[in-house]
Amino acid sequence: MKEKQKESKRRSPFFSALNAPCLELSGNRELLIEGSKGVLEYATDSVRINTGGMIVNVSGRELNLRCISDSALIIDGFIMSLSFTV
Amino acid sequence: MVRGSVEFSVSGKYPERFINITSRHRVRLWHVHRSEDHFTACMYRSDYRKIRPLARGAGVRLRVIDKNGLPTMLFRYRERVGILIGLCAFVLSIFVMSLFVWSIDVTGLETLSRSQMNDVLREHGLYIGAFKPSLDVQKLSRDVMIERHEIGWMAVNLTGSYASVEIKEEATPPEVDDIYSPCNVKARSDGVIVRIEAAEGETVVMEGSGVIEGQLIVSGIRTDEQGTHRLVHADARVMARTTRQASFSMPEQMKLLRPNGEVAERRMLDILGLRLPYRVGSVDSPNTVSNADTEVPAPLGITLPIGVVTDHVSALSEEEFTLDDNSAKELLMREAQLYETFALQHCTIEARDFRLRHDKGVYTLHATYTCVEDIAYSDPIGTDENTDFTPYVAPTEKK
Repeated sequence: MKEKQKESKRRSPFFSALNAPCLELSGNRELLIEGSKGVLEYATDSVRINTGGMIVNVSGRELNLRCISDSALIIDGFIMSLSFTV
Repeated sequence: MVRGSVEFSVSGKYPERFINITSRHRVRLWHVHRSEDHFTACMYRSDYRKIRPLARGAGVRLRVIDKNGLPTMLFRYRERVGILIGLCAFVLSIFVMSLFVWSIDVTGLETLSRSQMNDVLREHGLYIGAFKPSLDVQKLSRDVMIERHEIGWMAVNLTGSYASVEIKEEATPPEVDDIYSPCNVKARSDGVIVRIEAAEGETVVMEGSGVIEGQLIVSGIRTDEQGTHRLVHADARVMARTTRQASFSMPEQMKLLRPNGEVAERRMLDILGLRLPYRVGSVDSPNTVSNADTEVPAPLGITLPIGVVTDHVSALSEEEFTLDDNSAKELLMREAQLYETFALQHCTIEARDFRLRHDKGVYTLHATYTCVEDIAYSDPIGTDENTDFTPYVAPTEKK
C-alpha cells in the first residue's frame, strides 16, 4: 500500500491521469519501465511488457531483466528498437 | 547478505508466467538471464520457499544452482561449534571492551602537571580501564573544578573507548596593592641604611644610620605646616647593608650509595591495566634504583590499552670514605652556593667570608655574607574599631 502511494507521488499527475507507464531510457543500454503489469514474452532478442493500456516491445541483443518488482522492471542489453502496441 | 539469496534456474513451457506470478506476489527477482530453453534468476531465500509451490502451478520447474548469504553460511558451519563459539566470543569481547575507557588524553595543561591531573581524574573515577556506564562525566567535571581551583573550565568527552579531557586553567588575578590603609615602613632586619626611596610618608631615619629589626624608618603619620596630623599609606624602598651568617656541616666519615655496574632488566606486558612479566631479572644487592619506561603503540594517534613496560634496575653498593679538608670544603662550598642561589636571591652580595672548622669528626663551614637588600616592610597602623588600644600591663607573678 505504501509503495503504491510512493509510486503515485513519484509519477506526474498527467501520466497518472492517462494511466500510462513511465519509461526511462539510458542510451540504448538500459530501459526502466514503471507501471508494468506483466511480462508477455522474454527472450534474449525480444521482450514484450504489458503495461495495461499498451504493450511495450523491446528488441535487441543480449537482453536481460536485471531487476523485476511488482510494478517496475529494468531491461539491459543492446536495445535496437522500441515499439508500442496500443 | 543477511537475508540470504538463492540463484536458481527456471525451465518449462511458459517461463514468463513464472515471472508474472513472482511480480504478483511482490517477490523481487534480479540477475535474470535467458538461455536457450530456460532462464536463471536470483531471489531472497525466504521468497524462494514461498514461491516454490506456486511455480508448480505455472508449469515450470525450479532448480537451485547456488545459495549465498549469512543463513547459508550458518547452515554450512552448523556442525563446527568452535567457529560459532569463536564468533560469539569475538562479538562479545568487542562489546565488553567497548564498555571500558582505554585511552585518556588531557589537553590544556599549563601549570598543572600531567601526573597531577591523572591522579585527580583517578580519584574521581576516570582512569584507563574505568567502566564507562558508571561514569558521569558532567558530575566529574563539576567535582574536579570545585576541588581544584586552578582549573577554570573542564570538559570530558567520551568517544567510544577514548576519553578526551579538555582543560582551561584559571587565570590568576594580579595582586592589587593596598594604597589606602595607613601604615608605617619598618626594618625587617638589622643593617646600615644605604638608600631610602620613599614614595609616601615621612622619613625618620637618615641614610648612613644603623637600624635594628622592627625600627620605624618611614612614618605613616604626616604633619603639615598647621600641625595637623594625617594618616597615610607609607611606601618606601629601603636599601640597607646587612650581614647574613650561615653554617653548613658534614661528618668526616661518609657513607654513599653508588651504582656498582650490576644492572638487570625486567619487562612486563601491560594488557588492559594488567601487568604480566615476561622477562625477570634481579640483582644481588638490597639497595637498588630503578627506572621504568613504558612503550605504548599509538597507531593513527590512538593509544591502545596494550604496552610494554621496561624496568631498568641498577644495583647500589654502600661505600664508606673519609673526607679530607679539601674535599670537605669543596662539598660544603656547593651547599653554600645553593644557599646563595635560593636564600639570598633577592640580595646583592658584596662580600663573602668562609671559615672551615674541623671539630669532633665534623666539618663545619661558617659563611658570612655582606649584602645590600631591601629591608622595608609595611606595618599597618591600627585605626579600625577592632584595634585594641588598651595599654599593655605585664602580668604579676603570684606569690
